[in-house]
Amino acid sequence: MTLWKISIQNIKTKPLYTLLSVFILGLSIALLLGIQQLKTSFKYQMENNLGDIDMVVGAKGSPLQLVLSSVLHLDNPTGNISYKEAKRLSRNPLVKRAVPISYGDNYKGYRIVGASEEFPKIYNAEIATGRTVEKSMEVVLGHTVAEKSKLSVGDTFKSSHGFIDNDIDVHDDELTVVGIFKPTQKVIDRLIFTNLESIWDVHDHDHEDHGESEDAHDHSEDEHSDEEHDHDHSDEEHAQDHAKDKHSHDHDEDKHPHDHSEDEHSDEEHAHEDDEEKEITSLLVTFRNPTGLLMIPRRINEETNMQAALPKYELDKLYEYTGVGFKTISLIGYIILVISSIIIFISLYKMVKERAFDLALLRVYGAKNLQLIKIIAYEGFMIVFLAFLVGIALSKTGLYFMVNSVESGNSQKILQSIAFHEFFQIGILVFGMIIVAILLAIYPITKMNISTILSNEK
Amino acid sequence: MIKTEHLTFHYKQKEHTFQFPDINLSAEENLLILGKSGIGKTTLLHLLAGLLRPVEGNVTINDVDISSLSESKLDAFRGQHIGLVFQKNHAVQSLTVLENLQARLFFSKKKIVTTTIDALLDELGLLAYKKRKVNALSEGQLQRLGIALAVIHNPKVILADEPTSSLDDENCDIVINLLKRQATQTGANLIVITHDHRIKSSFSNTIAL
Repeated sequence: MTLWKISIQNIKTKPLYTLLSVFILGLSIALLLGIQQLKTSFKYQMENNLGDIDMVVGAKGSPLQLVLSSVLHLDNPTGNISYKEAKRLSRNPLVKRAVPISYGDNYKGYRIVGASEEFPKIYNAEIATGRTVEKSMEVVLGHTVAEKSKLSVGDTFKSSHGFIDNDIDVHDDELTVVGIFKPTQKVIDRLIFTNLESIWDVHDHDHEDHGESEDAHDHSEDEHSDEEHDHDHSDEEHAQDHAKDKHSHDHDEDKHPHDHSEDEHSDEEHAHEDDEEKEITSLLVTFRNPTGLLMIPRRINEETNMQAALPKYELDKLYEYTGVGFKTISLIGYIILVISSIIIFISLYKMVKERAFDLALLRVYGAKNLQLIKIIAYEGFMIVFLAFLVGIALSKTGLYFMVNSVESGNSQKILQSIAFHEFFQIGILVFGMIIVAILLAIYPITKMNISTILSNEK
Repeated sequence: MIKTEHLTFHYKQKEHTFQFPDINLSAEENLLILGKSGIGKTTLLHLLAGLLRPVEGNVTINDVDISSLSESKLDAFRGQHIGLVFQKNHAVQSLTVLENLQARLFFSKKKIVTTTIDALLDELGLLAYKKRKVNALSEGQLQRLGIALAVIHNPKVILADEPTSSLDDENCDIVINLLKRQATQTGANLIVITHDHRIKSSFSNTIAL
């Protein structure tokens, strides 16, 4: 016989109350833990995908859209920028690494990203099988892409225009898989990596197929629009194509200031004679030191027709928007915690009041006041313990189903486990509330008059 | 052995003062205290059990003046040396018959010996109900469990408050005989406080309040 055993027997005599207490306290714990884990995972997922990218340079538009599209590969791009201008920016001594990227096609919904060979380094992605891209029309698949598409090294496929899997606007050129990346748990797992030339070639060939020569960019905008309509394009793609065309016009009509002398002196530029006409979607920049972060973005935004967006800043803004949702759910969690504390208080207080005679009997048996208090407190502790088990189980299953429905078969591990100190904080909070409930409930014991209780037995 | 001197108790709320006659019982002596309701019978019993402290006078059990003990020492003394039988509500509702007896021994810091418990339950005809919850027992079974709880720890004094008033004649005799037998077996003083005149003949030593 121990005090614990008496507490357990007390709990067993009121199973419904205990069940309710455990369930509702468990629910509040689940909400608090779940939202914390979701928050941690969301932030980790975003920041993990940033790699060491300090700045994204792209066409003018929404900076958040630029970050979402070029860094997280979630949104549509803002437009195109001149490859030549991007290259000039890359030569700035404050720039440690600048990776030009270009995209606009997909295969089965997975984006095909053309970039310089440094692109995988941003994500520390290593080749698992095969080799890296060496020439145009070769691709390396992200881990998830390879897994889901069942493509392997040596296979070929045709890409389709836009970001949504479709059979209507399929490019004729076949891309060849030459390698597959190891899993990184980053966005590159969901991408198909190729070089910039592949993207340019695919689109140039398309133009040829439409009966236009490579340098025949002088067609009217209207003509092009009609063509696009025939293909039943989405609006975003229009915008992109327009932007591209418009840019080309600028070049052809020499409205855009070109630094020809610089071009002529550069070996790189000579390698691609038509570089000045090439376009990319954006440039992912890493600075040597924070000075770059202070100076360059402002200069780009003020002096060029490109825009510079800072991923960390934009994502912080995004957290603020989404933070309202997280806060609301947290608030609901706290409210339920308070309600469950009240329910536990009532349950224990009822026990103290209704079982006053039982408690007085225990005093007659020789129990001290402290022992009675312990019996009640242990009851509370057992409810908290059970509620924690229920809470953890509820949040785990809840998040599992939630993530599964959002991910739709994407094997990328979204959920991050919650940091210990955060778990500890929630634990302390819940425990503190229950301690208050217990203290309030046992207060009558300290004032208990055994003689009066025993006299009033009839 | 139990002795009282000039016991006086005062209820502040009721502005009522009780004065009780002195009691002096040597070992194994029994006493019946008779009195109408409202005359302070339960108050006297609680004073003897150390549940109330007298305003004046003292209670001495086995040469210990319990009125002078500290609260926690009094709890321990009560647990070890006093057995109380009530009219109703004899045991803790959430526990079984066996668990009640175990708790009784646990709190009075006595060794829990299963064979002793079984022997006592057998004697009181409760062995078959050992694993039953208290609220599943009949009135008569409960009364007998109350007696078991009052004697299991071999107390010096057994105090019974109206133990027979809710029982019929037959059960009344059984309970009184059980109490007397248990008192003799454990060598304790038995003090029964009641307004029930049916049991008057069972006691040679009687005080009227």
